[in-house]
Order: sequence, then structure tokens, then C-alpha cells
Amino acid sequence: MIAVLALLVGVVLGIVFHPTVPPGLLPYLPIAVVAALDAVFGGVRAKLDGIFDDKQFVISFISNVLVSALIVYVGDQLGVGGQLSTGVVVVLGVRIFGNVAAIRRHLFRA
Amino acid sequence: MSSPTAPGSPERRRPENAVAAQASGGLAGSGPPNPDGEPAKRTFAPDFLTELFRNPLDPGYADAAARKAREGEPAGVRKWANGSVAALTLVALGFLLVVAYQRTIADEPATTKARAALVEQVQQRRADTETLQSRADQLGADVSALREKELGGAAVAQLRDLESATGLSAVRGNGAKITLGDGPTPVNPLTGVRNTVGQVKDTDLQLATNALWSLGAEAIAINGQRLTATSTIRQAGEAILVDFRPVSTPYQVVAIGPDALAKAFRDSYAGGFFDELVSKYGMSFAASDVRGVTLDAANELKLRVAQPNPPLGSPNSPASSGSTRNAAVPHGKASEGGR
Repeated sequence: MIAVLALLVGVVLGIVFHPTVPPGLLPYLPIAVVAALDAVFGGVRAKLDGIFDDKQFVISFISNVLVSALIVYVGDQLGVGGQLSTGVVVVLGVRIFGNVAAIRRHLFRA
Repeated sequence: MSSPTAPGSPERRRPENAVAAQASGGLAGSGPPNPDGEPAKRTFAPDFLTELFRNPLDPGYADAAARKAREGEPAGVRKWANGSVAALTLVALGFLLVVAYQRTIADEPATTKARAALVEQVQQRRADTETLQSRADQLGADVSALREKELGGAAVAQLRDLESATGLSAVRGNGAKITLGDGPTPVNPLTGVRNTVGQVKDTDLQLATNALWSLGAEAIAINGQRLTATSTIRQAGEAILVDFRPVSTPYQVVAIGPDALAKAFRDSYAGGFFDELVSKYGMSFAASDVRGVTLDAANELKLRVAQPNPPLGSPNSPASSGSTRNAAVPHGKASEGGR
């Protein structure tokens, strides 16, 4: 409940403040979103498994976003930013799919 | 935020934790000791991708649950702090999602804007062309009206005859219609090369039109394109250009001329040639009479080098021009550059 409320607060804040993203950070935004989604689905699944942990969630969220951004940054410097982005998206996408499948089993028993 | 399990009930969750801890065995060696207190055994973990597919959940959750089961839930301030940090993280997440969404929406116009601008330009130019064309038609009508008013009837009649003969005005009459079509163009299954020997070539059309002229045709149009004294029929790759405009199969060469034009064409050398092409390469060829056909005026007959000779009997006729016909005077105006 609190989680949903907090999410809504974040959405409202984003709409109200309508921040402008610095151009230097733009390439990392999509990757950061995917990483954040991975953390969220992991958290939801852990919650349904009954092993949710606040600290773990926070740390996984922050580290996911930072590490994926770092990988893309390094890739950009090396000239393989696109490929590394794809790699990040593939790994996180696999995890998201697996976690969503687990969530689905929890919710629908199917 | 956190699981509402009271600190005193680890037994109830024991089996679940055991399963979770087992599931996290992939990173054996680096994990904390098992809940039983034994040090973790070093085992050979499955490789990264297998582990990723098998157990997508962060192993940290299982570890944390195991720790909780061992030490009990954090209580009081600590629990509250953890929960609020998690809530803050979710606030940040919502913020992030909205920002990303807004960026995507903002990027959308930038990519489609260029295209939209181009489409608009095309439509604008098209409309301009239409207005200019209608203005040209209007002015042309004005010119001919004025000419008829200023010149006498005989002069106008002569002018009309000349315009009809040169292709500058539409003409109407009986004649022949020659239809030529491409034959089959099979693709070689080994090399993938298309065999284009059955296609109508520019020389075929040239042959047809020249035969028609020689048989007395007075006006010819290919697929509606009127031929003039300066018309060209050329091949450009696989396309045939008549006066730099592409025409495509089937080619209809319509000529106005003597009544027996179609029959004369069939009997001529060109007719025999096309009959042979039909039997050899599967091209299609037909010549038929047409009655009351109208051929449009040529699009443009612009003499760039040749200058009209002054009319006969004109006082300032240049005596130096030896013949009264074909006084081609070159004048290389740079601004008249080629099309």
C-alpha cells in the first residue's frame, strides 16, 4: 500500500516539476528505466515469496541503475555503447521475464 | 513495507527460507553461512547464464530472509528507517519513469518533424505547380485569342497547320495503333540474372515510329507522348525515355495518317521484324486501325540552337543564309543550359 502510494507520489512529483534531463544523461535514461524495472519486479516477487527485504530492495535498485549506467558509459567510451546496452537489456530482460513468470505463478497459480 | 511477520515466529517461515537458501546455492562460497550455522561449502556453481535463467531473483533476498530468520526482524527505528528508505526509492522510481516517459514523448516530434516538413513542402510545391500550370494554360489561350484577333484569317490558318505539323497543337484523325508488349523475362535460376532479351528496346520503338513516318504518318504519339522534330527515344537501363519521360510496357504507338496505315505497317519491313520478335521472344505485337483519335500537343518544343528563319519576303532577311531552310545558327547562351 505504502509502496503504491510512494510510486504515485513520485509520478506526481515528476509531472509537477517536469524536470529537464541534461543532454549528457539522456543515453542512460532508457537503460536506467530497465534496470529500475528489474529491481521492482524482483522486489514484487520477493514480496510474494515472503522474503522481501527493504534494504535489499533499495540496494538492488540503486546498484542496478548505477551499474547499468556505468556499463553503458564505459561502452560509449570504448565505442561499443550500443552493443553493451543490448547486453544490459538482454540480461535485465531475462531477469524481468523470470520474475514476472514467478509473480504470475503466485497470482494465478498458472 | 517489510513483511509483517512478528520477530518471534521464525519457525513458520523455516521451510520457505530453506528452499530459498537452496535456490541461492549458485553463488555458494560467497554467501553467508547457512541458517544451520555451518560454513558454506564451496561447490561448482552453474555458469552465469544458466543461473540467470534458472533463478532470476536477486540472491540477496534469500540471504536477507535467512538472516532475518536467524537474527529476527529488525525492530523499532531501524525497521522504520528501512521502510522509509524503500518508500523514497519508490518515489525516485516513479519520478524516473515519468521523466523517461516525458523524454520519449518530447523526442517523438523531433523525429517526425523533419518528415512532416518535407511532406508539407512537397504538397506546397505541387500546389504551386498546379497554379502555374493553370496560369500557363490561361496565358496560352490569351495568346492564341490575341493572335487570331490581330492576324488575318489566312495567317491564323497557316499558323494552325504549322502547329499541327510540328506537334505544338492537338490533332485529330484516323490512323493506326501499334501495340508492342514485353515478352517473358525469365530469371536464370543459377545466376539469378534476368533475361531481358524479350523486352521491347528503344530501337524497336524507333523502328516502329520511323516506319510510320515513312508510311505517311502525320502525327505520332507513344503512350500519349506526342513526337516532334526534336523528340528522342532512348533506353536508360531498363526504362525507355521518350523526350526524357519514362514510358512503360505495353507501348502504344498511335499514328494519324493514311487510311491503310495499319495494313501498310504490317506489310512493311517493321511489321515482319516484329512478327519475328513475337515468334522468337514471345513479345506481343498488334497493329490496328483507329478512327477519330486525338493526339495531344507535345509538352514542350523548345529550340535552343536553331532560330526560326524570318518569313519569306521579309525585308530584313539575312542574305548570307544560303538556304531558306535549316538555317541553324548556333548561339550558345549559358543560361539556356541543358535540361
